[in-house]
Amino acid sequence: MIEGLFLGGGAAMVLAALTSVTGSRERGSGRRFALGLVMAGALAWIAASIVILADDSDLTFRIYSLTPQLGIAFHLDRLAAFFILIVSSVAACVAIYSLKYIEHTGSQARRDMSVAAMSVFILSMVLVVASANFFGFIFFWELMSLSSLFLVMFDREKAETVKAGIYYLVMTQFSTLFLLLGALLLHRYTGSFDIASAGGLTLSTAGIIFIAFFIGFGTKAGIIPFHKWLPFAHAAAPSNISALMSGVMIKVAIYGLIRVLLDVLSPDLWWGTLLLVFGTVSAVLGVIYALKEHDLKKLLAFHSIENIGIIVIGLGLWVIFSHYSLNTLADLSLFGALFHTLNHAIFKSLLFMTAGSVVAATHTRNIEEMGGLVKTMPVTAAIFLIGSAAISALPPLNGFASEVMLFQAYLGAFQVPSPLTAVLLFTALAGFALMSALAAACFVKAFGAVFLALPRSREAEHAREAPRAMLVGPGILAAACIILGVFSYQILRAIGLDLPLPNVLPVSLIAAAVFWLAVLALRRSEAKARVSETWGCGIHTQTSKMEYTASGFSEPIITIFSPIFRTRKTGKREFFDKDKAIVSGGSGEVHTLQFFEERIYLPTALFVKRIASFISRLHNVDLDANVMYVFAVVVVILLAVGQLL
Amino acid sequence: MILNTVLYLLLNTIFVVAISPLAMTLIKKVKAYTQGRVGPPLLQGYYNLFKLFKKEIVYSPNSSFIMRLAPYLNIGFLLAASVMVPVVFLPQVSGIGNIILFLYLMVTAKFFMALAGLDAGSTFGGMGSSREMSLSAIIEPVTITSVAALAFVLKSTDIPEMFATTLNGSLAQYPTLILVAFSLFIVIIVETARVPVDNPETHLELTMIHEAMILEQTGPKLALMELSQGVKQTILMALLINIVWPVGLASNAGIVPIAVSMASFAAKVLTFSIVVGVFESMMAKIRLFRLPSFFMLALFFSFATIVFELLA
Repeated sequence: MIEGLFLGGGAAMVLAALTSVTGSRERGSGRRFALGLVMAGALAWIAASIVILADDSDLTFRIYSLTPQLGIAFHLDRLAAFFILIVSSVAACVAIYSLKYIEHTGSQARRDMSVAAMSVFILSMVLVVASANFFGFIFFWELMSLSSLFLVMFDREKAETVKAGIYYLVMTQFSTLFLLLGALLLHRYTGSFDIASAGGLTLSTAGIIFIAFFIGFGTKAGIIPFHKWLPFAHAAAPSNISALMSGVMIKVAIYGLIRVLLDVLSPDLWWGTLLLVFGTVSAVLGVIYALKEHDLKKLLAFHSIENIGIIVIGLGLWVIFSHYSLNTLADLSLFGALFHTLNHAIFKSLLFMTAGSVVAATHTRNIEEMGGLVKTMPVTAAIFLIGSAAISALPPLNGFASEVMLFQAYLGAFQVPSPLTAVLLFTALAGFALMSALAAACFVKAFGAVFLALPRSREAEHAREAPRAMLVGPGILAAACIILGVFSYQILRAIGLDLPLPNVLPVSLIAAAVFWLAVLALRRSEAKARVSETWGCGIHTQTSKMEYTASGFSEPIITIFSPIFRTRKTGKREFFDKDKAIVSGGSGEVHTLQFFEERIYLPTALFVKRIASFISRLHNVDLDANVMYVFAVVVVILLAVGQLL
Repeated sequence: MILNTVLYLLLNTIFVVAISPLAMTLIKKVKAYTQGRVGPPLLQGYYNLFKLFKKEIVYSPNSSFIMRLAPYLNIGFLLAASVMVPVVFLPQVSGIGNIILFLYLMVTAKFFMALAGLDAGSTFGGMGSSREMSLSAIIEPVTITSVAALAFVLKSTDIPEMFATTLNGSLAQYPTLILVAFSLFIVIIVETARVPVDNPETHLELTMIHEAMILEQTGPKLALMELSQGVKQTILMALLINIVWPVGLASNAGIVPIAVSMASFAAKVLTFSIVVGVFESMMAKIRLFRLPSFFMLALFFSFATIVFELLA
């Protein structure tokens, strides 16, 4: 039955891809039917994964074999089912949202193609997760990368999109390269491409394989310093696609990392330290970069880097605590990481979808040109607020529920016997706390600048509430944020995890009771409330020019963290008179050093370019020289093969 | 058991709410004395709240439901947090007061207060929100590190359990708690918006942070905001007091122990308010961008605790 549901879901996706390009183009009915099929397929997958999660049944089946070694086979266990559940639930909500959102963008033909690519994209993500061997895994991984590249390039006329596409293409191939390397190295020692235990590897070999996989998966997941493609690609893609990419696609990389750590290799202590350090750096830098960002979608993209950092921190803690056999803490960290994966998928796709509605209504991504939307788009604002509170880890929402698991794990760090590791853990804890508080500051800024106060542009003033489909999709996810948060303790108990965690339900009940009592007590005075201009320092009427801007809001934090931003402020003034008393005009500029771009990416690119130009010079020769090259290559290959066999 | 819990919830919450305005006024009084003034009468806090509750509510035309909702959410989350800090007696249920949940409930209240500050679109509100969130972001690592140090020393993350440990032991048993107390004190100064971080007395754009955020609130809504600030101060004080000096805290729910507990807590709050008042009078307000180094002091103390404990 599970096999049937799983394959049925896949068939629905393939059918969706086909119908969206063949259906009637004029009224877009084919497109809508295709999105309906996507929803149906996602529901089938949800059903299948729930059955597997409940039964704890493993299922392996093979559907195609090229050779006995290279075939496409699927293996569904609880871990795979959990990630399939994440992918398909988010995909279903995104499909509902896309029903209307897609009509905002591009030409008819392009919309059809985008729905088709979206179905392929969702299908490939599920198949990556379900793959039983690296042949299928990397094949579907590439399919996932290319279909998403196609979707990122939706607005291909824009220079910005082209840049994002190139970045994305290069980085995604870079990631595949390292995955391929890892898989081949594994094959060299185990003799098969199966994703199965390779516990017998010697330490150094396993370490090298882990590094290869870490770079491969880390690039896709957006771990700093491999993150550069992420803000570009997420901002350039249409919002329903950003929701899928940020909510789900980068989670597929996390799935790979967990699978390799958990099932294939047996982790060593330094892997945990490496994961913890990279995770903490990604989490803190991700949110600090987000604070500076005024492009709504880029801001959310930087928060994805932050949240991936949190998940990687959880994995690192799991490795470290497992090494010292502190099983409760190890469980807390691993399940914290997994739970946060689910939660991030939920609130990040919610935020990207509502951001998409806002961008569609205001025709700008710059939050400095928004404002006041809470009055014109109240439902979108409420949904965005729930998402913001969840991502800022505020109780009683789901973001808190998973972050508190990691906090609890951290607070148990004193049980670690090695003082050096314990000090590292406590230092990382301070970074974790900093990240969490900065995220709250960043979302106060984002929500405040986008939705509150007075509109700062004509478009924002005339914005209209999004259509119902664009509210239902994220609305379902907002409900999930609340349910997974308030009942987190009960849910974890129900699936058999007895972990030392706070129960959020009584606290939420008390807060709700106090809230209700306060409302009752003030009901009479609330009814008499007057709306009138409040005091504004003697200014007659308030205009949007007087509001605090997003840049103003984040300015103290940016000043405090100026060593990280490395901003350079320059001011120029011109004067009327020679005494420099009357200013006639002037300009001020703030430059930020793009550390990773200027110090890592560009030098690497220049280096590669130099090698490429050298090689292209070698190419430019006559036939006999080319024949000589071929001869040399054949000799090298024969020698290499002789060495290996 | 259930009855005991409900009794605890009611007593603790009501007592915290009841004593908060007194503590606020006490600090004002102490500050006035150090400056050679007489200061307000001790019940002034209650008069102020009573007066505000009778006044009408005025909303700015630019404001939205956030402004209307924030005071309720603020008091709701802070009272939920207050449940976790036993003041009248130690409840017998376990797992009621996770310290991380406690801290994050206060962050939630702050989050909505900062949003309300931005809501009316006035420059003051925005400035207050911006500064509050910036300071809160920088103090958070300090807070969590001191909490980690506490959890390390007392081997628990549950606040009532921590209190039980210190109640049954003594400070001599846990000497590093004195170091943690220093950093907790700084955290309390920051969180309750006191000099040298913030100046609760003025409405001057150069100094105010917290006051700027609630500048647009009026009448009963302002009273709720003031009350929640008082509750926040009381529970943070109670956290520090009952860890360093838990004498008198009742360990069971009898009438006499509860009365003793309430009286002793009132006395301890009085002492603590004097300490805070004197501390405030001795300090000048620090420039906003100099504050991180002040916080580093607290971080140092909590980290020193952790290192000492690790080496011990």
